[in-house]
Amino acid sequence: MFRLNLKIALRNLWKNKVSSFINVVGLAIGLAACLTLLLYVTYEWNFDKQAKNSADVYTAMTNIPGDNGKISGTFEGSTTAFGPAIRQGLPELRYMARMDYGGKNLIANGQNAFKRQSKFAEPDILKMYDYHFIQGNANTALNHPNSVIVTESTAKVLFGSTDVLNRIVRFKDQIDLNITGVIEDQPDNSSNKFDYLMPWSLYESIDRGAKDLNWSNYSFITLVMLKNGVDLNLVNQKINQIEKKNNTNNQQSQVLFPLAKLHLYGKFEDGKSVGGAIEQIYLFVGLAFGILLIACINFMNMATAKSEKRAKEVGIKKTIGANRSSLIVQFLTESMVLTFIAVIFAIALLEIFLPAFNNLLNIKLDISYFNGSSWMGILGIVLATGLIAGSYPAFYLSSFNPIQTLKKKIKSKGLFSVSLRQVLVVGQFCFAIILIISTLVIYKQIQYIKNRPVGFDVNALVEMPQDGELKTKYELLRTQLLKSGAVSSMFQSSVSLSHHGRNFAGIEWEGMLKATNNQLFNQVITTYDFIKTNGIKLTSGRDFSEKFASDTSAVMVSASAVKVFGYKNPVGRTVTIFGDKFHIIGVFDDYVWDSPYKSNNPMVVFFDQKQTGNITMRLNENNSIQRNIETISRITRALNPAYPLEINFLNNIYAEKYNAEKTLGILSNLFGGLAIFVSCLGLFGLVAYNAEQRTKEFGVRKVLGASLFNLMQLLSFSFVKMILVSIVIAIPLSYFLMNKWLMKFEFHTNISWWIMPLAGLGTLLIALITVSFQAYKTAHANPVNALKYE
Amino acid sequence: MIQLNNIEKYYANKGVKNYVLRLVTTTINQGEFVSIMGPSGAGKSTLLNIIGMLEEPTYGSYEFLGEDVTALNERKRIELYRNHIGFVFQAYHLIDEMTVYENIEAPLLYKKVGGAERASRIADLLDRFNMVAKKDLFPNQLSGGQQQLVGIARALAAQPSIILADEPTGNLQSAQAEEIMELFKKLNQEDGITIIQVTHSEKNAQYGNRILHIADGVVKEDVLVG
Repeated sequence: MFRLNLKIALRNLWKNKVSSFINVVGLAIGLAACLTLLLYVTYEWNFDKQAKNSADVYTAMTNIPGDNGKISGTFEGSTTAFGPAIRQGLPELRYMARMDYGGKNLIANGQNAFKRQSKFAEPDILKMYDYHFIQGNANTALNHPNSVIVTESTAKVLFGSTDVLNRIVRFKDQIDLNITGVIEDQPDNSSNKFDYLMPWSLYESIDRGAKDLNWSNYSFITLVMLKNGVDLNLVNQKINQIEKKNNTNNQQSQVLFPLAKLHLYGKFEDGKSVGGAIEQIYLFVGLAFGILLIACINFMNMATAKSEKRAKEVGIKKTIGANRSSLIVQFLTESMVLTFIAVIFAIALLEIFLPAFNNLLNIKLDISYFNGSSWMGILGIVLATGLIAGSYPAFYLSSFNPIQTLKKKIKSKGLFSVSLRQVLVVGQFCFAIILIISTLVIYKQIQYIKNRPVGFDVNALVEMPQDGELKTKYELLRTQLLKSGAVSSMFQSSVSLSHHGRNFAGIEWEGMLKATNNQLFNQVITTYDFIKTNGIKLTSGRDFSEKFASDTSAVMVSASAVKVFGYKNPVGRTVTIFGDKFHIIGVFDDYVWDSPYKSNNPMVVFFDQKQTGNITMRLNENNSIQRNIETISRITRALNPAYPLEINFLNNIYAEKYNAEKTLGILSNLFGGLAIFVSCLGLFGLVAYNAEQRTKEFGVRKVLGASLFNLMQLLSFSFVKMILVSIVIAIPLSYFLMNKWLMKFEFHTNISWWIMPLAGLGTLLIALITVSFQAYKTAHANPVNALKYE
Repeated sequence: MIQLNNIEKYYANKGVKNYVLRLVTTTINQGEFVSIMGPSGAGKSTLLNIIGMLEEPTYGSYEFLGEDVTALNERKRIELYRNHIGFVFQAYHLIDEMTVYENIEAPLLYKKVGGAERASRIADLLDRFNMVAKKDLFPNQLSGGQQQLVGIARALAAQPSIILADEPTGNLQSAQAEEIMELFKKLNQEDGITIIQVTHSEKNAQYGNRILHIADGVVKEDVLVG
């Protein structure tokens, strides 16, 4: 029976080529979209879940106290004393490892030097992550301070092989380290990824902050592994007691949070996780299944539209002894066969388009992220798709009464089936129109933010990290660069212009009302020519200058800081920061750093020539950019030969700040386009079928004198009506949704009235083109051909 | 075998009853070959459909093999189709997507007849109707007469005790029609299968042994042939 069903299903597919094509293409697109996003979701979902015991690994979070006993912020970080304290006082703890946040640092094999992701950690980290050692021994690899574990790809880059045990590498052009292990590369979806790992004991000898056991510097990560099945709430209560015992005067508190959840649930409000990237995952899943559902609807509509043809078959089969369930099985077999063909195409599409998709979204997805269980998931999706697509036709068709079908009396069975088909088409186009409107609004928002002034001219500005010799030879570099003519002015600062510096609240000003300040200020430390180089507008006062020796106790403040202080004439007034008095010499306009979507904290710029971090340069615009960069490279290389050169353009850095919303825009655009395409495919199928049914009627009408236009109108009208209904439904819905989305941004555009008619008319036009193509073909046919039969 | 008592069928339209059948009472015994005759719209096909349980009478009772089947549920009805009743239609109603072989096989599959038994029965039928060479063709590759032969072969496959035929030769040329009627006669006489056919043609009616004349929904005459 099954074999026969299968055979008949394939014959049916072959016989109805147009509808099979529409169904297979539609379902393949739907499934491919679904699989792509599923891949993405798998990638995100498995973040930090690769290790066998990952469910028992927790990271220490710090809660920052705010007003009214609430918690104003939560971040991943802890002090050096926290780890040892809970190792002693917490019996549930199995392993504990402190580490630094990691960073790009120089590692070299002789002349072969690269900046790669480094990490310092205590040896217990090797118990929490099951790194696969190609060389070396996990039990001893981090025992000696001057040892290092490198990943396979790092070993290959440095030495060209993985057989590098006990070879020597040089860290930051200062310390020689002995390679004690080579491990396989870690997957990309891992928070604590590194290219080489060094022992905490080495870190203690390099950084005094790491050696000093304190409860005030929250610049370290503490990972712990608890015993399986312990109650996290109970553990956190115990941690609270341990903290109270150890540091009485500190208000900031620490809690453990599951590491594997941090990536997706990393948004905290009042110390509680309230979501995060998981929202985006939900959105993607919704989009994927939306497209798939549109394709399923196509299948259902085509199948029910053809029900008159199939009804006869149902009638015959019932009279020769088929019961309803055997018919249902037969129809479901057909839809399953179709879905399986579609999924093969879908996987092919996925393979073809994944590189482009990765490129578009700047991610690295690979089909190998699918493991055994995700393949089972795909099988599940395929079965579910076949079931959803096939269920309605199966149950609907199998319910036909044989005598009605054989008498050919079945006239699409009254109002219900027709209206359901219409409802489904309206639903499809609603979804598509909503996506189109969303795309337009998202792009308008991105454009709005892009057009929002950054506060200074980002073009012709470049920056580079102040590494190695550049820290001590900054003045020499400055003299040489200015002399060369490549650079018109430059400054060094603690952080890049595009990034926030240290946050601090320990500031007092004249006439302050509150006892202590809660407002966080952004601290940037710089040298001469800060304003001259970056071109930020100075509203009053002056830049730091060599002419004033007193500038070591001077600060420049942002306009928003002045507003907080409440100064009328700020220049010359003083503020007290951590007990030291500073006088204000200049006020500059606020500019954009970190997120361009929200307003920034007030800012204080200090002067300190010893504070290094980043060098920002304004290129001489009289020379070509290429020549300027070549000159800068030559001079910098000569001064700092150990480090590779890293020159970044600020306009690129700022452009990257729009990436998250751009991704959303691209996805919305992509899926909106697919939704329209698949919906139109379905519409085309329906019109084609409708036209086929009405060939005779059209023939008669033509003989009676109907014009081509009359006939096209006749055929198109009912479909155009459905699109109009979906436009009417979709517009208020999308207005509501997008308004809600825009409200998330402090700076946001408004939804222009023209977006709605643009999306609506655009969709209508596409649908009309789809419909009229078929309508023209039918209306143009020779009436004799239509009337010859019967 | 079949006992109809006061069967009535009407369609109510705006309060007016349009009668198709009125007070039809008759008995059809095992082994009979009955022809239902009458002018167009007399109710012949409706009567056959009621006998075949494809339609329900508005009034009256119907016993099939001693069992009241007036309002049978679908499951039991299909059980009767599988084991006792074979249909033959004017428009053949073969399944277009299936080959000759598969069309004949279909009722056996629904009846869940084993593979070996199935193969031998189909081989037997194909042989009997001289269709062995055509078993892999599709219905649209056959002539009307050949299609109707497949239709009869399909009706016979499940070894029914009764065949209901609605104008089986209505779409056929006379030579082919004769062939089909000879076949019915043979099936009736040699295999003892009860046959009820609806026909317009007096000539076709002569192949049977009893004729029910119907006009305006009423049985006017019940005559034995030969």
